[in-house]
Amino acid sequence: MRPQLENVLREIEKVIAGKRKVAEKILMAMLAEGHVLLDDVPGVGKTTLAVALSRAVGLSFRRIQFTPDVLPSDIVGFTMYEKGSGSFVYRPGVLNHVNLLLGDEINRAASKTQSALLEAMEERQITVDGNTYPLEAPFLVIATQNSVGTAGTQILPYAQMDRFLVCLSLGYPDYEAQMTMLRDRQDANPLDKVETVLGKEELIAMQREVRAIAVREVIFDYIVRLATASREHEDVEIGISPRGVLFLDRMAKAKAYLEGRDYVTGADVQDMFMDVCAHRVLLKEGAGAGTVKQVLEELLKKVETPDRHSRFPGILKK
Amino acid sequence: MRRRWAGYAGWLMLGICLYFFENNTGTRVILACSAFVPLFPVLRSAFFSPDGAETEKAAEARTVKSFIRQETDEPGDVRAYLPGDPVRRIHWKLSAKKDDLLIRDTVITQEPAEEIRKSIPDAEADRKPLRKWLPGVLTAAILLGLLLLLAIPEARRGVQALCNRLFAASEAVNSYAYRYFPVAEHQSVTLAGILMIFNLASLLALTVVARSRLLTLCVMAATTILQVYFGLSFPAWVNIALYGLLALVMMKQHPSRRVLMTYAALVLAVFLLVTLLYPGVDAPTETASEMARDRLSQMAQRIAGAVSEMPVGEMETRHVHTQSLETGGRQALTEREFRLVTVEEEQISMPYWVNYLKMILLLLLAVALVVVPFAPFLLLNARRKKAQEARKIFESENISEAVCAIFHQIISWLDATDHGAGNLLFRDWSDKLSSLLSEGYAVRFSECVEMFEEAAYSNHTLPCERRQQALKLLKETEAALWTKADWKQRIRLKYWLCLCE
Repeated sequence: MRPQLENVLREIEKVIAGKRKVAEKILMAMLAEGHVLLDDVPGVGKTTLAVALSRAVGLSFRRIQFTPDVLPSDIVGFTMYEKGSGSFVYRPGVLNHVNLLLGDEINRAASKTQSALLEAMEERQITVDGNTYPLEAPFLVIATQNSVGTAGTQILPYAQMDRFLVCLSLGYPDYEAQMTMLRDRQDANPLDKVETVLGKEELIAMQREVRAIAVREVIFDYIVRLATASREHEDVEIGISPRGVLFLDRMAKAKAYLEGRDYVTGADVQDMFMDVCAHRVLLKEGAGAGTVKQVLEELLKKVETPDRHSRFPGILKK
Repeated sequence: MRRRWAGYAGWLMLGICLYFFENNTGTRVILACSAFVPLFPVLRSAFFSPDGAETEKAAEARTVKSFIRQETDEPGDVRAYLPGDPVRRIHWKLSAKKDDLLIRDTVITQEPAEEIRKSIPDAEADRKPLRKWLPGVLTAAILLGLLLLLAIPEARRGVQALCNRLFAASEAVNSYAYRYFPVAEHQSVTLAGILMIFNLASLLALTVVARSRLLTLCVMAATTILQVYFGLSFPAWVNIALYGLLALVMMKQHPSRRVLMTYAALVLAVFLLVTLLYPGVDAPTETASEMARDRLSQMAQRIAGAVSEMPVGEMETRHVHTQSLETGGRQALTEREFRLVTVEEEQISMPYWVNYLKMILLLLLAVALVVVPFAPFLLLNARRKKAQEARKIFESENISEAVCAIFHQIISWLDATDHGAGNLLFRDWSDKLSSLLSEGYAVRFSECVEMFEEAAYSNHTLPCERRQQALKLLKETEAALWTKADWKQRIRLKYWLCLCE
């Protein structure tokens, strides 16, 4: 593992114990220039994690709590008429000068607000009244949504879920982690102890290095075969999109980078497959196949791994 | 799924019960039932009808859709705008005219849309419960009834009478069949046996290719066995058509073109086979051949008689005549008679193309005889070449390539000796290896997997000692497999090692 990233993870662990895997994945998503959807119950430390990450990497952090009356103009800003000068002035929204945005309960926002945010996520720039404003360079959105108590909410449509690089869930911490948490928070806020160990510029440089990681044809082939198999599975209504294919590749690269390698292995793809693809797959209604996870696991078992790929030279045929 | 298997089990038990019933009471129920075998598809469509349910569901969905549409399209009254009314419902045209906001008031004549929507996913559950349970209940009832019948003597006698009546009915069907489908008596069993084998094979193929139901197989087998057992054998084409029809009807979905082609090809093959082996199956040909044989023997007798009546002085001629008859020459006959006989003989003998087919078969056999003794050598040589090519890569300049090749050699050996972990990534193999081979080997294997991954997926040039490391693992694999292998695997291992040397 790269020492700098190891440091970042250590800083995060000061605040939130026992969630190293998720922290790693969020870091990977950051390196892969994607966005994260956290699907979880309230109070498991989503915000804390995001704040700790932003401090450890030295990013500017902002949080927006979505409700039905948050409007697109709150996100992207708006132009208003100023009487004194007699001209229109742009008032930036929450996306101004922010590197890490935590969008809490995105499913509570109205659909027009959601799409404004998602558009900004995709384009990394905002357009208001014909003027285009680029966003700050490392830009990561961590959106959360509650999977329970969805009454009166606007559940993210599939087309929009697809735009998130990964869909993660923190889950409840175990006994040990909760004991540590209680002990740590008696007199001080551990968030204050988090130090900045990685600069913005360094992060951008890392993102560039991730993009440069080598991926062999066999890996491409494996990813495409996985996606095709998901589309052809009999219980699947909507399989992995071409965007999902791209994202899987990017996430696998980030994983390889995090582990200090400069090449992507089949294991990287397999490890990231669930997180990248689970929210992109929609099962047929009434199909007796169980959950999406089971279907994806079945795919992993069924699709021939790149390790066995016959394009390697010198395989003795049976 | 489970219900369907239960249904099959029910049918099977019914069959077994019937068999014992028949043995005990002396009735001929099965035979009677055989007359009604063609009714099976009808029964099936009555009991197991997923397609029917499907259409029902679709129809229901359609009606729901039209409900909703009706509701929104229904024009209603126009009233004044009240605060809180949706802007969409404002009747702009009228509002502009009256200079006041007016609202289109919709009249909801149907039930609320929400409730209707709710009923859509439930459509499957709402399928008639009677139909779902009917096969099971019926089977159980029949079984129970049969048990009761066996227990009560009076009832048994009644059933005997009833079954005999049924048997008479089936006999009537059979006699009808006999009249309209001529039967070759002496060949029926063999022919039907061939048909049975063919049917079983083709049906197995159908079950595998088209996943048709097991029931098809059972019905087919039952039909064929009945035919063989009771000697009622239709001509081949009737059978083929009947079975084909049954198979198609029983199939789960519409058969694909490939299935149809396979079936057609099989039918053709069997038709050819049957015609080849029993060319004179049909009655007219048989009669014709009989008549021709009679006439031939008559002619032969006439010639022989004429010879014996001759005076002793003409014994010489007679001798010549007999000789010519014996050697097969026909000079003794008059030109015209000879020609007639030849024509008749040709007519009753096999069709001319049969000879061609025989010739082709013989040719094929001859070719096979020439090729077969050399085939193992050719095959072995090819394999040897391939293995040696693979080995050549082990020494390749490109170390990554060499490491990949060596590693795949290891994997192929593990696979072939059932130590492989299937379609898992190699790094996940060590668990299985440590349990099947040895702990130490698994550790060294997982060390080498990292090397393999670097060789396979990165663009680095690897250091030279990696090749040595991989070769070491290869040797170790050979040794480990040799100690664990049974004699069959040892033979195979030895064979491969010989190939590679």
